[in-house]
Amino acid sequence: MKSFWQRATLGGLAAMGLALVAGQAQAQPRNQITIMREIDADRYDPARSTALAAGEVITMLSDTLVSMDYDMRTIRPGLAERWDVSEDGLSYTFHLRQGVTFCDGTPFTAEAMAFSLNRWIGRTTPRVTSPVAWRAGDVKEIRASGPHTLVYELNRPHSELLPNLAQFFASALDPAAVERLGDNFGVQGFNGTGPFCWESWTPRNQLVLTRHPNYRWGPPVMQNQGPAHVERIVWRVIPEAASRVAALQSNQADLTQYIPDAFIESLRRVPTITINTQPNYLWDTYLGFKVDRPVANDIAIRRAFHMAVDRPAMVRAVWSGNARPARGIINPTALDYYEAGDQGVPAFDQAAARRMLDEAGWRMGSDGVRVKDGQRATLTLFAINNLVNQRLGEIIQQAVRQVGIELRVQLFDATVAWGRLASQDFDVLFLSYPYISANDALNLYWHSRSRPTPNRMNWNDPQTDAWLEEGRSATDPAVRARAMADLQRQLNESSAWMNIAHNNLNLFSTRRVEGARAHGLYGIAIYKGLDLRVR
Amino acid sequence: MSDTTLDATTAPAAPRRPSALRMLLRDFGGTVSLVLVILIVVLAILAPWLAPHDPFATDLMAVMEPPSSRYWFGTDGQGRDIFSRMLFGLRVTLGMGLLSLVVGGVIGAVVGFCAAYYRRIDGLLMRLMDMLLSFPAILFGLALAAIFGPGLTAVIIALSIATIPLMARIVRSSALVVMGLDYIEAARAIGMNDFRLIFRHLAPNCLSSVFVFSTLRLGQVILLGSALSFLGLGAQPPTAELGAMAAQGRNFLFIAPHISVIPSLGIFVIVLAFNLLGDALRDALDPRLRI
Repeated sequence: MKSFWQRATLGGLAAMGLALVAGQAQAQPRNQITIMREIDADRYDPARSTALAAGEVITMLSDTLVSMDYDMRTIRPGLAERWDVSEDGLSYTFHLRQGVTFCDGTPFTAEAMAFSLNRWIGRTTPRVTSPVAWRAGDVKEIRASGPHTLVYELNRPHSELLPNLAQFFASALDPAAVERLGDNFGVQGFNGTGPFCWESWTPRNQLVLTRHPNYRWGPPVMQNQGPAHVERIVWRVIPEAASRVAALQSNQADLTQYIPDAFIESLRRVPTITINTQPNYLWDTYLGFKVDRPVANDIAIRRAFHMAVDRPAMVRAVWSGNARPARGIINPTALDYYEAGDQGVPAFDQAAARRMLDEAGWRMGSDGVRVKDGQRATLTLFAINNLVNQRLGEIIQQAVRQVGIELRVQLFDATVAWGRLASQDFDVLFLSYPYISANDALNLYWHSRSRPTPNRMNWNDPQTDAWLEEGRSATDPAVRARAMADLQRQLNESSAWMNIAHNNLNLFSTRRVEGARAHGLYGIAIYKGLDLRVR
Repeated sequence: MSDTTLDATTAPAAPRRPSALRMLLRDFGGTVSLVLVILIVVLAILAPWLAPHDPFATDLMAVMEPPSSRYWFGTDGQGRDIFSRMLFGLRVTLGMGLLSLVVGGVIGAVVGFCAAYYRRIDGLLMRLMDMLLSFPAILFGLALAAIFGPGLTAVIIALSIATIPLMARIVRSSALVVMGLDYIEAARAIGMNDFRLIFRHLAPNCLSSVFVFSTLRLGQVILLGSALSFLGLGAQPPTAELGAMAAQGRNFLFIAPHISVIPSLGIFVIVLAFNLLGDALRDALDPRLRI
């Protein structure tokens, strides 16, 4: 039976592929690669965009001071050949490469880099405000102390400054181009130091990049330091998942990371398609509780969720085996993950959950929902309406029902969901997010200052704040690791989160292309594109 | 004398018209559709006893399984039994259709009778109905979902509103025919009041066309309701509803087509059965309409 469906599927996809071929009837130019994605970005300005769709293009258009290795924890040189950090962790001196130029031939200087970073943190005029300027730390001053020396001074140490400077937000921009294009920088043009240069953009259709011919300063994590093997890269938006699968199978496009999990199994059997998986990817899907709301403020209820849901089976079902079930709050491959901290997370055991709820005073009502002091064990869940959340919502709803908890699932379109998730009208939420380390993840979510968003859990604990500050400003990695360990133990024991899945990053390529390796910084699979080559 | 005797004894008795049911059963399509409709209704009523599995129970070890001896229609993306969900979905789908038909039909019929009986307000009422007719039901559904939030209530209201003008027109036209008949004049002459006249004499004589229209309309309403649920405006998860089930499966159309195809076939069979039954009923109740 299964093989019939699969054959029918492949037949259907091939037919769709043929339709696409017939519609476009145009072979790809010899040295061009087409990359598919689901959505476009609103603009390609690193200081104004936080979208993955912007980041994946900006990493090709420009470079950062430092780069991230494929292990997602080792910092390698980038535009800075080397750097010195002062004893107190307050001053960084970056020694920049010489001979670097922007796409239009203008030489890259420390002055330009200082401008780009200052623009990111809102210290240039006209002022732009980046939603993620906090990633730059508590900056005192960023200045050029010579043509190729950049000084970065902080008011407080920032133990993860370097990983944050590897993110696309901190890309080098040509100040003249920024001034010339004004608001239209990253809309009508771009001038960066990256391996590819901006050619044209048709929003929601395609963005075309051409090779930067003089590029020689690729980060050491790439096999090819430049120039790129490929002459042209076309980023094409194809919103429909099935069309992307069909285009990949019919060689209409070469690369994509945007293939729904359910399709992966059948694509594995297609000999012309290669799947590269990044094992060190840090993108988790979690369920969070508002710990100050009635019912959700009871730890017995929160623990009961963990015990009622068979997470490994659920993750296998929802992600079709393309994600790893989570236990603790941090991915085991992340820097400063604390294994013993995961002991505090209750294991799947519905009978034990029922006993625990009984003991906590939650008596089973006649309708199968528990009641305590006149309060029904009913929780409302808010999440973005997508396929994963629909399925997770129904499975978890059914699972907690087994132990006497009622979960009301409300999914919202992405356009309104963020507003709804910023409200106080719900008890439980699903979200997924990228991070670079335990410190990054925990500082993002759990500080009392971060309420109401992104600390949607309303977690407010002075001890947590102290540990977060300690980890954030630690200059000694051991101190930071200890603070992170304490935090993981505390948060796992509180059950304020049920971490669900560690997502996989897969990069799909056709036989026409080689050198496609999934990277995964901020979810970006194709980093720089220097190693891509047409066979 | 002998002539009259002869007349009385040899004149053939006026042929008795066979009952509507008999007429219906004479037609092959009518028989099949009647059996199907009865079967559908019985399945919906007996769903809790017939369903082999809990329609909401998720079997995470058997997600998106194709039809098998354990799961007759396979399982959906959450590992739930599609057959059981369809049985329960039938209740929601039929209930939604029937309720909106009754609400819309009753309001429409009242409007239709008033328009036919009180000629002064006929123009006004019918123009109002024309206005309603100009809005597609899907548009009503979207608007109501925006006001009340998506859910079965919004769908039922939308479908009811969409049914009102159609029913009003049908009732008005058949009532106008009846209004011209002598017994209406006679009832008026003996001083019967309007309410009594409409319900005693006008309404019963329009019933056959109302009945035929309702049966045909039920199929359309079910299709529309399923379409609204497919768009995400109707039944909300985890409620089983055929349109919503088809919508959930469309994401897996390439890898597990049964999730979407089987509920869609279900909708197809239901709508077809009601449409055929409506056609056959029309033939049986009103042979003049037969072409």
